[in-house]
Amino acid sequence: MNAAPAPAPAVTTIQARGLRKCYGDHVAVAGLDLDIAEGEFFGLLGRNGSGKTTTLHMLSTLIRPTSGTASVAGEDILARPVAVRARIGLVFQESALDRSLSVEENLQFAGALYDLPPALVRRRTDELLKLFDLGSKRRVAVGALSGGMRRALDIARGVLHRPRVLFLDEPTIGLDVINRRAIWRFLARLRQEQGVTVVLTTHYLEEAVDCDRVVFMSHGKIIGSGKPVELIRSLATSILEITADDAASIIARLKPILGDCIQDADHVQFRVRDGTATLADWQRQLPPVHALALREPDLNDVYVWMNHGAGGTPA
Amino acid sequence: MKRAIAAIIGRELKRMVRQRGRLVAAMIRPLVWLFIIGSGFQALVEGGGQGHYKQFMVPGLLCMVLLFGAMLAALSLVYDKESGVMRMLVIAPFSHYWIVLARILSAAIAAIFQALLLVVVLISFRLFGLDYFGLPANLSLSALGLVLTSLTCATTGMLIAVHSKTLDNFAVIMNFVIFPMFFLSGALYPLEHLPPILKAFALVNPFSYGVDLMKHSILRDVPANFSADLNVGTDIAVMAAYITLGTIVACLRFSQVSVREKLAKALSGSRRA
Repeated sequence: MNAAPAPAPAVTTIQARGLRKCYGDHVAVAGLDLDIAEGEFFGLLGRNGSGKTTTLHMLSTLIRPTSGTASVAGEDILARPVAVRARIGLVFQESALDRSLSVEENLQFAGALYDLPPALVRRRTDELLKLFDLGSKRRVAVGALSGGMRRALDIARGVLHRPRVLFLDEPTIGLDVINRRAIWRFLARLRQEQGVTVVLTTHYLEEAVDCDRVVFMSHGKIIGSGKPVELIRSLATSILEITADDAASIIARLKPILGDCIQDADHVQFRVRDGTATLADWQRQLPPVHALALREPDLNDVYVWMNHGAGGTPA
Repeated sequence: MKRAIAAIIGRELKRMVRQRGRLVAAMIRPLVWLFIIGSGFQALVEGGGQGHYKQFMVPGLLCMVLLFGAMLAALSLVYDKESGVMRMLVIAPFSHYWIVLARILSAAIAAIFQALLLVVVLISFRLFGLDYFGLPANLSLSALGLVLTSLTCATTGMLIAVHSKTLDNFAVIMNFVIFPMFFLSGALYPLEHLPPILKAFALVNPFSYGVDLMKHSILRDVPANFSADLNVGTDIAVMAAYITLGTIVACLRFSQVSVREKLAKALSGSRRA
């Protein structure tokens, strides 16, 4: 029997080496190395101020790195910034739309900036408005759209020229949970239909669980990376959270069994790696407490424990 | 690039037409000068044996429309620094100096549109026997005057816009840039009667050359002391040089690393406290 062919090596779309950005004495990004494959759904996670947006702005040529290099879609960000911008789409945290123009006019304007012929813009406008459920809003002024619709239109605007890489800076910030879900649904559809490489930042870490790969940033550095599901699985089977007046005695009792914990005043959390014990089992082992919860871990937990391990402050 | 520039100009015109208030104000401002200030001054100079003051005012008032129209459109770049449109422009695949060039061009075109609208209004006054504006002395020179003057004003507005962070000081710009440019330009009175120091200021003012060129091209059959003060060639050369230099300075400034970083920061979102 023949051996199965080895999988083709993935084509790298984004490669960064030693990417660094300083503002005076402040180091916003401290020498980043990144390799992102073609078609990958990649998450750059971390809290506000961790350097995510600065990284995105360097990769999209809006700001120049203090040192280091990167290539995006085969073009060097320092030598050929205009060529990079032609091959990428960028959706900012804040809308990149003209509120005084209609939905359709915004896309026409964006298309012209990318030198697309009007007929092509019309065709893609039809496709994208359908994809993002905005078909009935074509002639509505952007100022009259809801926040979620505006964000969807903004993403449509970002992919109108069929970029090879789409950068999304906090795509769901400021949206309610229903609209947040809608945006993720649109992104899934978009990836399915266009196969675009998506690089997103978010500080709603739990939302990045569908990414193929994520890196966690803190203080401008990468503190960890991997596939979300594997990261979560390797963290714990569940998280035990306890709120009690006498947190110290709880810690003394559970630390020998569960190992390290994260304490924030009267709130303590442990990683449970043995999935068989139920909430009732734990309750029996403990003195009366204010609150006790056993829940599944998510990417927030991964980040919090990574920071804990790195000596950072817990959430 | 042609499509992008056409789109930027198209957007400016669309906005102008949609903001009716802006357009109406642009028409009323010069008419107020014409009917109120013009009537007062005309009575004054007629007492001295001279008529034609309102006809004399017309080139200056057309230039006033260009000055306000182009300056305000160019200055709106300061507001746009934090707007969605600027985000679209900075990530578009062309060098950032094109943003400045396209904005100067679109501000100038919007201003010319307003000046032409005023011409239509002035011509329509003839129906009521008010003969302020007839066929210009030289049509092609008028067209050149409109283009150069509007570009001069748009360049000035852009030079201010790329150097200022906010327009909180808008009143300052109005009082210390736009009004002095207008008053010290020969739009309301011939330059030759000004005291030497004010005349010197007027000659440093690039807008004066626009007003002068418009007088050359529009005025006919006016008394010698109401005619243009300078030479047509000088007017054209000074404005062409100013537009070229001013545009280069504005482009260089807008492409500076420090300016771009501030812009990127402003655009990256204010939600992060």
